[in-house]
Amino acid sequence: MAGAYIRGVGLSCALGEDAESCVSAMQRMQVRPVRLHLDEFDEPLQMPYYRIPDRSELFDAGRFERLLPPVARAAVAQAGLTPEEIHRLPMFIGSSCFSVGLSESRYASALVQQPETAIPMPLCGYQDIAVILQRTLGCKGDTYTYNTACTSSANALLAALRMIELGWYRHTLVAGAELANRTTLAGFSGLQVVAETLRPFDAARKGLLMGEGIGAVVLSAETDSANRLRVIGGASNCDTWSVTTANTDGNSVAKVLNQALHQMRVQPRQVRGIKAHGTATPAGDAAEALGLRQVFPNLPPVSVLKPYLGHTLGACCVNELILYAGALLHGFLPATPGFETPDPALGVQPITTPEPAPDGHYLLNHFGFGGNNTVLALEKIAP
Amino acid sequence: MIKLVSASHYLQPVYDHAALTSLEAPLKGLCREPFRRIDRFIQLALLGSANCASGRNLRPDCGIYLGSGLGPIGNNIVTQEQLIRDLEIPKPFNFINTLGSSAGFYVARNLGLQGQNFFISRRGASLQAVLSAAMADMLLGFVTQALVGVVEEVALPLDAHRLRQHLSQDILLAEGSHWLLLQSGASDSRSLDLKRFAEFAALEDFLKSAWRTGDRLCCARSMETHAAEAMRRDFNAGALSDPASAFHDSLEAAWLAAFVTGGEQGNLFLVDGHPERGWSLFYLGA
Repeated sequence: MAGAYIRGVGLSCALGEDAESCVSAMQRMQVRPVRLHLDEFDEPLQMPYYRIPDRSELFDAGRFERLLPPVARAAVAQAGLTPEEIHRLPMFIGSSCFSVGLSESRYASALVQQPETAIPMPLCGYQDIAVILQRTLGCKGDTYTYNTACTSSANALLAALRMIELGWYRHTLVAGAELANRTTLAGFSGLQVVAETLRPFDAARKGLLMGEGIGAVVLSAETDSANRLRVIGGASNCDTWSVTTANTDGNSVAKVLNQALHQMRVQPRQVRGIKAHGTATPAGDAAEALGLRQVFPNLPPVSVLKPYLGHTLGACCVNELILYAGALLHGFLPATPGFETPDPALGVQPITTPEPAPDGHYLLNHFGFGGNNTVLALEKIAP
Repeated sequence: MIKLVSASHYLQPVYDHAALTSLEAPLKGLCREPFRRIDRFIQLALLGSANCASGRNLRPDCGIYLGSGLGPIGNNIVTQEQLIRDLEIPKPFNFINTLGSSAGFYVARNLGLQGQNFFISRRGASLQAVLSAAMADMLLGFVTQALVGVVEEVALPLDAHRLRQHLSQDILLAEGSHWLLLQSGASDSRSLDLKRFAEFAALEDFLKSAWRTGDRLCCARSMETHAAEAMRRDFNAGALSDPASAFHDSLEAAWLAAFVTGGEQGNLFLVDGHPERGWSLFYLGA
């Protein structure tokens, strides 16, 4: 499998507003969720939340248009594409919220100003992220927008990779975007899976913490010799055990891990590290841990990145790929803040201090509502 | 070679001041279990997918590729009303069903599938996006069978539904669930190919060489008008349209499914593209 090279990245998340500073902050093990108060509901909500550190109000309707473009511009600039390549650049978008925050704001405003004509979901569909990014960059290429919950940007990236391998495209932009909105915040609260502290794979884990993040990656068929990161494959499957979690026996997770390994022709013992999904929900971590243990008799170092930026849901793959890839290039495997007490039922202990990152193969796990399991494989190439 | 082995076509116009057609009765005989907490978008997906798969031998790793322009709009409206107007926390199943992939979950569960399951959108051209993704995976051998569907739901009242889509208030709206079952190497079925061209002239040259009397040409609505008119003129072909002339966001899916299920003979060429991004030709063999 030829794979595709990571030629440019852009990132904005709780760690910072550019990819390099985010990786540096992660290396320093910086963790900074803020306290969020949503008092407007019948039952007021409070939760820790990882917000992008811009200065605007969290639900400011203009944030969507302000925060997306710089990230895409950074990725394309770093990739060094020609104007003609940018013009034809196809986009693969993954998100679980899209512009619902903007839609909420407009509906709320209409209910105040003209209640008799206010209609819910005044913005609908999935096109807004692609429209903004195309306008920002001047792209006219094809767009593919994925909405598979927390695997959205993983599946978008997998599709981009495959279409590059087919020769349909030489370069693609893969973007993930997740910004604060009431639907997501209240929706997850209603599911009672939001915790006060994030403890992936820990015996005391109680649930997830959400976050915002926008990431963009330029994947290319070709690169120069200085580029040392390549996405080499991946696999995806559907587990119909439950709409909200993979089967806690770990079988469907093991199956998708084995599919990914088979596709890249790599044995488990050749994997140098795993970026786990690690939502820190009791059931989600159980499914992932038991799946990992079925495939890896001896687990390579496991890192969970959500303690740095929260669970950025549909964008988590691209955001965490950028952080993990950045760490590999800097020579370290990220530590997992929040993990303290091993859970004997899981048998997975994420690393708690950074470790050296050798050349070789790495896996990145992603699991989502709708039974979606997607694993991506990354190679750090020797210089 | 990719073959189209089965198709289903559900297109239901929705008239002003009329209720939406109930889907519960037709679904009873199509679902392996009585699904609770599903919304209309999921019902439409179950209906179309089950009809397409009826009598066919689905492989457990058959991929599901579900496309839609608007997604589960009815459920999203209910959720937003709970949240913004009523200031209530959304009910869990309403929140979970806001995701397009929930429909794919129920389709997979109903048909006993465990393979890839993707929800893909491209406004006004979701069929082209979802078909491209499925065909890419088949050409690379990641799946040997793919259930490709496009679902569009209508939410009442119709005037609001039109406003959301910036449509004129006199447009007749429709719901749709249009599905294709693709398989690698099946011998006795129509072939489906996807060709990509950087230049319009190359596309026209190919069409001229492949065109036979009785073939049909379908120009995607996203094409510039003059390009579509030029193609129809050159190939003396009228635009395919759905019989009811009703609108939803993914009409190309309705055209294609109606062509296949209507027993039409000849090749079908579905063209989409733009001079600045290149051209795609979906070529359905006779």
